[in-house]
Amino acid sequence: MNEQSNIAASTREPVAFNAALAEPFNVLIVGVGGQGVIMVSKVLASLAQAHGFEVKQSEVHGMAKRGGTVFSHVRFGPKVWSPTIAKGEADVLIALEWAEGLRWLPHLRRDTGVFICDTKRIVPPFACRSRRPGAPMRYSTETAEQVSAYVSEAYAIDATRMAEELGNDRAANVVLLGALSTVLEFSLPEWERTVTSFVPKKTIAVNTAAFELGRNWIAEAKTAPPSDMPARSAPTQTNYTPRLEITDAWCKSCEICVKLCPEHCLELDADRIAKLVAPEKCTGCRLCEWLCPDFAIRVHLDAEQPALEAAR
Amino acid sequence: MNAIDRSHAKPAAKLLSGNAACAQGALDAGCTFFAGYPITPSSEIAERLSVLLPKAGGVFIQMEDEIAAMAAVVGASMGGVKALTATSGPGFSLKQENIGYAAGAEIPCVVVNVMRGGPSTGMPTRPSQADIYQTRYGSHGDYPIIVLAPASAREIYDETIRAFDLAEICRTPVILLYDQVIAQSSETVALGGRAPVHATRKWASGPRESYKPYAADADGVPPMPRPGDGYRTHTTGLTHSESGFPSQDPETVTRNLGRLYAKLDHFRDLIDSYEAVRCEDAEVVIVAIGISARAARRAVDACRAEGHKVGLFRPITLWPFPEIALREATQHAKAILVPELNIGQLRLEIERQLRDRRVEGLHLISGEPITPAQIAAAATKLATEV
Amino acid sequence: MFREAPHFDVRDYLRKEMMPHFLCPGCGHGMALRALLWALHELKIDRDKLAVVSGIGCAGRLSAYIDANTFHTTHGRPLAYATGLALARPDLHVVVITGDGDCLAIGGNHLIHACRRNLKLTCLMLNNEIYGMTGGQVSPTTSETRLTTTTPHGNTEPNFDACALAIAAGAGFVGREVTRHVPKMKELIKHGLQHPGFAFIEVLSDCTEVYGRKNDMGSSSEMVMRQKSEMRPSAYRDSVDEPFRSTDLPTGVLARNARPEYGAALRAAAAARAAK
Repeated sequence: MNEQSNIAASTREPVAFNAALAEPFNVLIVGVGGQGVIMVSKVLASLAQAHGFEVKQSEVHGMAKRGGTVFSHVRFGPKVWSPTIAKGEADVLIALEWAEGLRWLPHLRRDTGVFICDTKRIVPPFACRSRRPGAPMRYSTETAEQVSAYVSEAYAIDATRMAEELGNDRAANVVLLGALSTVLEFSLPEWERTVTSFVPKKTIAVNTAAFELGRNWIAEAKTAPPSDMPARSAPTQTNYTPRLEITDAWCKSCEICVKLCPEHCLELDADRIAKLVAPEKCTGCRLCEWLCPDFAIRVHLDAEQPALEAAR
Repeated sequence: MNAIDRSHAKPAAKLLSGNAACAQGALDAGCTFFAGYPITPSSEIAERLSVLLPKAGGVFIQMEDEIAAMAAVVGASMGGVKALTATSGPGFSLKQENIGYAAGAEIPCVVVNVMRGGPSTGMPTRPSQADIYQTRYGSHGDYPIIVLAPASAREIYDETIRAFDLAEICRTPVILLYDQVIAQSSETVALGGRAPVHATRKWASGPRESYKPYAADADGVPPMPRPGDGYRTHTTGLTHSESGFPSQDPETVTRNLGRLYAKLDHFRDLIDSYEAVRCEDAEVVIVAIGISARAARRAVDACRAEGHKVGLFRPITLWPFPEIALREATQHAKAILVPELNIGQLRLEIERQLRDRRVEGLHLISGEPITPAQIAAAATKLATEV
Repeated sequence: MFREAPHFDVRDYLRKEMMPHFLCPGCGHGMALRALLWALHELKIDRDKLAVVSGIGCAGRLSAYIDANTFHTTHGRPLAYATGLALARPDLHVVVITGDGDCLAIGGNHLIHACRRNLKLTCLMLNNEIYGMTGGQVSPTTSETRLTTTTPHGNTEPNFDACALAIAAGAGFVGREVTRHVPKMKELIKHGLQHPGFAFIEVLSDCTEVYGRKNDMGSSSEMVMRQKSEMRPSAYRDSVDEPFRSTDLPTGVLARNARPEYGAALRAAAAARAAK
C-alpha cells in the first residue's frame, strides 16, 4: 500500500472516554460539497449520543452542487455548551480533501490533536489562474513534512482510491470513519451498527468493507515508518502547445477571431486572411475556432511538447 | 423491380363509392402513408384511410392545412414510402407549390383532386370538371406531370393503383382527377382479378463514393437514395446538377429540365391509357372524361340507334394527353364534340390537337352533370351538319 | 486536466466540396451550424440515420453543408415535410433548420401545430430578425424601430417571442441561446436532440451584412460582443447601456415537459385497435 502513508506514527492508545471526561471532545469534519462530510458527522454524533453523551453538531452545508467547502463540528461530553469548536481546540480533524484539511489545521490542538486526511485533491476553479492548458494551479503547496511538523499525530490516507478499488468512490468517507474509529474509544460493534444504519441498504457490504479498510490501514500505519506524501497528490502537469490550422480559402475576413481573441494574438494579413501572429500568447482557448462562422480555424493542442515557459 | 404481392386485395364484389374505391386502391397499391385535410367532396378518402392504414401498419395524419398535408406526403415519400393525399379544387390550389417541388426534385407521390364547382369556394357539393388545366399547369415553372382521369368506382380503384405504379416508376407526382359525382356515387365494384403490377421504386445501390443522386439511367429516371442506406445526399427544390446540389449553370439547367420531360416520353406506353368506343367509322367523335364521358357513352348508343356514326374517345390518362390515340380515333371524324362541366377546357386541348377539324364544345357550368340526352342532341346536330 | 473535445473536428461533418459556404462574412448562422454539428457529434448520432430538413432563406441553405441526408424544401414548410418524414421513418433522427421568416411568418401555422402535436423533431430556428436572402425586409422578429428595406421609417410592428409562442403551443422542449456562446448552444441543442418530443430551439444570430449595416450596428465582432451586453440574457442586464431589443428574452432551457410523443401515441393507438 505505497499509495498511502502515515506522516507521523504514534503508539498512543485510543482516546479514553469515561464518565470522568470533564471537557467535551471535539471532532471537526471538513471537505468539499458532495463528499459526505455530513454523513460522517451524523454517524459520529449518533454514536456519541447512543453512548450517553450530550452531543452538539454544527455545520455549513448546501454546497453539495457547487463543489464548495463544507464543514461540520461535532462536540460531545457530559455537558456541552457551545456548538462550535474554537481555533486550536479540535481533538480530531478529519478531512475528506487535502487542501480543505490544510485550511482547517489551525483548529487542531497542536499538542494532542489527531489529523486524518484523505489525499484526494479537488482543485477549486479559482485556483486555475492561467487559461493556458496544463498551466500550474494555485493549489496548496504544503508538503507532508510541513504538516507533520505542525501536528502531533497525522495520517494522509488515500481513502478515495481505496473506495474506488472497492467499486464505489462514494464510500471514501466511510474509509475515513474506519480510520477515525481507531482513535475514539467506541466499541467496534457500536461503530458498525451505526455506520450500517446510515448508508443505503444496497451499499452496506461495500461500506462495511470500506470501514474495515480504513481501520486496518491506520493500525498498519501506526507501526510502519513515516514516509512522504503519496505521489498521487502531486499535481499532474501536462504541457500543451496550441497550434492554429487556418483554412485560408474559407476565411471571409470578418475579423471576429481577431477582435474576440482574449489574448489578441490574431491579425488579418495583407490578403485579409486571419493569421496567428503571436503564438506565444495563444492559450488554446478555442474561442476563435468556435466563433469563426466560416469553419476556417481549427485549434490543435499538441500535448507532451516542451513547456511554453521553456520555449520562451 | 419486384412484383408486389397483392394477395391481400379483396376479390369479392363490393358496393363502393369512388372515394372508397380510391382508398382501397391506395391500400392495395402498397400505400402506407396518408396526410390530408378535410375538404368536400374528398373527405371520405381520408376518413376511410384513417381506419384502414393504421390496421395495415401505415400512418394516417390529418395535418393543419392543405399545404402541410402535401408537404408531409412529399416528406414521407422522401423517407421511402408510398404516400397519398386527397383534396378538392381549393385545397389543390394550395398544394401546388409543393407539387412543383415533388416534380422538380422527382419525389413520387399521388394526389387526388375531386373536382367541385369553382372558382374560389364555389360549389363544394356540386360536380365540375374545371381543374383540367390546374392539374397540368397549376404549379409555377415548366414541369411534366401525369394526370389520370377515371370515370367509375372500379376505374378509380384501378387507376389509383396505376397512379402509384407510375409515380414510383417515373419518380414523379401523379394526379388522380375525378369529379364529385363519381366520387360520391356508390357502384358495385368487383375488386381483384387484376394482374399484379410492377412498381417498387428504383433504389440507389452500389458504391457511395461515386454515387450521384440525379444521374439518370437510360430511361431518364435516376435511382433514388433512401435515407439510412448511407448515401447522405442533398435534395433541393433549387435547380440542381447530377450531384443534387444547386446549380444555375445554363447547360446543366437545360439538360436537367429536358430530362424531366424526356423521362415521361420514355414511359409513354405505360402512361397512356384511353377508351375508344365505336370510333372506327365515326364521323362525329365525342371526347370526354369522367361523368361527362359516361353520359356520352349512352349518347353514342342513342345516336347509333338513330343511324348516326358517332363514337367516343375517352382519355383515361389526361396528361400527357394521348394525342396519337386521339388522332387514330378521329381519323374519319368530320367533327368533334367535347361535352364537359366547365366553360371550355378540354376543348382547348382538342382544338390544339386537331386544328384541321371542327371542334364544338358542350359546356355546362350550372353545377349539374351533363345528361346523355343533351350530348345526343348536340352530337346528332353535328352529325347532320357535317 | 484540461478538458477539450479532441475528437470533434467540425470539418468531419461538413460537405467540404461545398465549402466555403455562401453566407456573408460574419454571419452568425455558421456558429449555430457548428453548435448543431458539435451536439450531433457528442451524441454520436449516426449520420446515415440523420435527416436534416430545412426551409428557404439563409438558414434554409445550411442543410446543404451537412454531411447527412439533407432536404432543402419549400418556404415555410420544413416542419410539415419533416412531420411526414419522421412519421414514415421513425428510425431516422430528424432535425429541422429554419429561420425567423420561414418558421414564424409563412410557416407559423406549422410551428404551432408541430408544438401541439409533439412529434419527435428537433427544430432549430435561427433568428436574425431579418429576411437576409431577399435583401433585408422586415420579419416577424424584427425589433421595433429597426430599419429594414420595407420599414424605411422604422419597424412599427411588435415582434414575436418565438419561445413563448412554442411554450404556449405545448412544445415538449423549448430553449434559446445566442451564437456567441457556442458551447452553451451545443449543450442546449444536445438537450433538444435528446428530448423525446418536439424540441424548439431559438438561436439569436447576427445578420451583419444586411441588418447590422442598415442599422449602424458596427462590425461583425462588435455585434457578437454586444450579444452579451445588449442582447437579452437577463443576467447581463446590469451592464447594459441600451438594449436594442424591445423585450428581455431569457436564454437556456425555458420549458420542458413530458407530454406524450405523437408518433409513439399514434402507433400505440393503432396497435390497441389491431388487438381488439
